[in-house]
Amino acid sequence: MNIQEYISSGITESYVLGLASDEERREFEKICAQYPEVLQARIAFELALEKQALENAINPTTELKDRIFERIGSTGKIVPLQDTSIKNTQPGALLWLKYAAAACVVLLAGSLYMNITLSNKNKKLKGSYDNTLAELNEVKKDIRVLQQNPNIKMASMKGMDISPKSYATVYWDTASHDVYLLANNLPVPPNDKQYQLWALLDGKPIDLGMLNYDLKQKKLLVRMKNAQGAEAFAITLENKGGNPTPQGAMYVMGKL
Amino acid sequence: MNLNTTYSEQELVALLQQRNEKAFSYLYDNYSGALYGIVNAVVTDKEVANDVLQNVFINIWRKIESYDASKGRLFTWMLNIARNAAIDELRSKGYNNALKNISLPEINEIEGAVTGPAIDDVGLKKVLGKLKGELRVLVDMSYFQGFTHEEIARSLDIPLGTVKTRIRSALTQLRTMIQ
Repeated sequence: MNIQEYISSGITESYVLGLASDEERREFEKICAQYPEVLQARIAFELALEKQALENAINPTTELKDRIFERIGSTGKIVPLQDTSIKNTQPGALLWLKYAAAACVVLLAGSLYMNITLSNKNKKLKGSYDNTLAELNEVKKDIRVLQQNPNIKMASMKGMDISPKSYATVYWDTASHDVYLLANNLPVPPNDKQYQLWALLDGKPIDLGMLNYDLKQKKLLVRMKNAQGAEAFAITLENKGGNPTPQGAMYVMGKL
Repeated sequence: MNLNTTYSEQELVALLQQRNEKAFSYLYDNYSGALYGIVNAVVTDKEVANDVLQNVFINIWRKIESYDASKGRLFTWMLNIARNAAIDELRSKGYNNALKNISLPEINEIEGAVTGPAIDDVGLKKVLGKLKGELRVLVDMSYFQGFTHEEIARSLDIPLGTVKTRIRSALTQLRTMIQ
């Protein structure tokens, strides 16, 4: 056997660092006992490793020493078995804490993201809410004006079978003959259709005009054509531009 | 016994085998930092490293009878206890996942990227940083992560003989670096 070759094969380092296989270890130990050069090489590497490790020492916390001395006991007895289980659970528990801490960081990041998202959503909703509130206040003001007027009569128009949920209100000033329509709830008409308001007098429909506005976006209370007299009001869905007499389906109707 | 007491290695071992606490205290004061270094290189988490180091010293205290001076120096024996304890801790959590995640492209990436050690690498890991990419990976996998040569060969799809030769070659380079 060429000893120099064996020494420089890396087996010495592999043995010292604990990376050699059992077979390699046994062989190395045998050769070490036989050849002083191998032993010398081993010790030289061990000393170099030790020196290197001491130079790069990281000091653990000071209380660790106390913890260790507590564990080994003042009489120097071998630590009882149950300590082993404690020993084994501690790293687990700490690791659990580590994962928990990591989870907290993730949750915090997620929470911050949600905060920003929700804050943006909130701003949008606030804007939309403010607009709606302004519109509502305007309508309320109009209605109050109408209601404070002793000449105003009101007709609540209920939905017909074709659209039972539909609902609209007509305010009619008997003195000035002004007619205001509040479209409380009417389905959005198709593009080629429009709602038309009628006054009914002596069983005859009188045209009070078209609802020209977008039911969803615009002001809910609109002024219609004047009505000289009326017993009831109704809304039908007509072709765009309307008809002199109602042709389409009646959506709502109500008596004064 | 005054504070400046120093022991020869033989004295120290003899006293430890008699369960002499002063000798154990001396051992701790002189070697805990060096052993903590190796534990930290493996487990990286400080809290876990503390617990591992605690177990290392308890194991040293318990197993000192089994220390055989003919097989190596006391520090070598302790270093191996420390490394094994750290790797056991590493293996107990996500070991299999770690193995699955290693592939050859990763080696190529490392080979291209590594020009020096990362800032937080200390001790042996710092020395390791001076190795060429692939050798560094092999030493890291075997020494710091505790994979067997067979596992490394399988996961990197390299013949077992090649793994052994390359690790040996890396270790001889390490030797010249620390001497």
